[in-house]
Amino acid sequence: MHIPDGFLSARVALGYAALSSLGLGAACFRLRAQRERGASALLGVSAAFVFAAQMVNFPVAAGTSGHLVGSALAGALLGLPAALVVMSAVIIMQCFVLADGGVFALGANVFNMGLVGCVVGFCCYRLLCGAAPSATRRVASVAFAGFCATIAGALSCAGQLSLSGAAQLSVVLPAMLSVHALIGVGEAIISSLIVASVLRFRPELLESAGSGERAARSRNATVFAGLGLSIAIAALLAPIADVAPDGFSRVTQALGLRANASPVLAPLSQYGVPSAISGVLATAFAGCLGTLLLFGLCWLLALALVPRRTQQAESRAIAVESSG
Amino acid sequence: MSVVHRAPAGFKLGLASALIFGLAALPPERARWGLAALPLLISLALLARLSLKRLLSRWALGAPFLLAAASLAYFRPHGLGLSLALFAKSAISLLALQLLASTTPLHELVRTLRRLHVPLVLCETIALLARYSTLLSDEARRMRRARAGRTLRQSRFREWRALGNALGLLFVRSLSRAERVQRAMRARGGA
Repeated sequence: MHIPDGFLSARVALGYAALSSLGLGAACFRLRAQRERGASALLGVSAAFVFAAQMVNFPVAAGTSGHLVGSALAGALLGLPAALVVMSAVIIMQCFVLADGGVFALGANVFNMGLVGCVVGFCCYRLLCGAAPSATRRVASVAFAGFCATIAGALSCAGQLSLSGAAQLSVVLPAMLSVHALIGVGEAIISSLIVASVLRFRPELLESAGSGERAARSRNATVFAGLGLSIAIAALLAPIADVAPDGFSRVTQALGLRANASPVLAPLSQYGVPSAISGVLATAFAGCLGTLLLFGLCWLLALALVPRRTQQAESRAIAVESSG
Repeated sequence: MSVVHRAPAGFKLGLASALIFGLAALPPERARWGLAALPLLISLALLARLSLKRLLSRWALGAPFLLAAASLAYFRPHGLGLSLALFAKSAISLLALQLLASTTPLHELVRTLRRLHVPLVLCETIALLARYSTLLSDEARRMRRARAGRTLRQSRFREWRALGNALGLLFVRSLSRAERVQRAMRARGGA
């Protein structure tokens, strides 16, 4: 999802740079208090962890492999401001050391993978997790948060590309979404594997990440939150997928970004209003169904990954032995 | 150490940014003007005594992504010209960025960022990231190799699970390393 240089127009690049420096500045401000309590090494080493984790390739099939992006995972493990700073540091370093993603597009990249990824991932995680979650619930939440963060980042990336006139939204959006739905599933599995093993080795690391002492809400709360989230995602996606080329081009025309934005509208103008509405509903329904299915899969994954009590003590003993 | 390596990081960053910004501001129909930057970049690479082969092979690693992104523009009106222009712009920008990356150490860039009033927290995080990323990447590689040595029969599920476990363990180890680093920094009068 790293946007290279040359694809974003000056306005889009500068606008997103301003947005992400605003968010990053706020996160740095929040962290200043923590730094005084002595946690500056934590941020740097966590960033190095994310960087190293991105280097580990998970074999998929036929010689292809995927790797972690880690914004939702960082949000779950470190909290929102720290995760933002960590992810931004990783993206900046990738830009200047590996030439991965452009300098000019740095603001947009930090926005997509840092700001959007961390905020969406963190919010999904917190919403699903509740105050004092069980291990299964935590793992399922991380998995779903990883998926949502990937999809949200891809959406925002597609929006930037089409706002810059580098591609048509009706082309770039389905392309990005279909590829990133798969990547999101990978991200969900990898994040949940990592959190499950952290839960086994050192569960107190996750519990100390700012959870209140309120009594655990029932499992139903998670299910309802998942349901709500998937409907929200579908409701958000559907109008964007079907109507937004219209809306976007109107906005860009209003801003004077492209004088010749009308060709974007051409394929849409063929649709009458009723068919457009039914298209929206169909997309919404499909999106909702898919997201719900994924939520169920996340839960099953968590059930498979979290060991039963007796195994838990045993595996922790093994972990302590082998890490020594 | 060539002249290009020794030039101040802020100057190089400014130059690269100006070039990339200029390329981004070029309208697509004039993208071929951007090719004028190519001789400049190549002569700078020669001046820096970089191996052109290495530079180009690193460039070729990034090129497929550029091509994929540029091909999205093909579906716009006058798409072919537009996607070629986008590809040319981004390819030259990538070369400039690689030149910057391979002649400028990261700690100098961090110092420049600090001078540009980037918040201290972010600068420190980048500096520590640069220092510890190689260490942790090595550790991840070691854990992976150890695991591969111990696991004879491999199914995909088990492999993913093992890799996930290794990364979880890496996180736990990173946190304890962070504690040690923090203590060491404080013992030496740091933050």
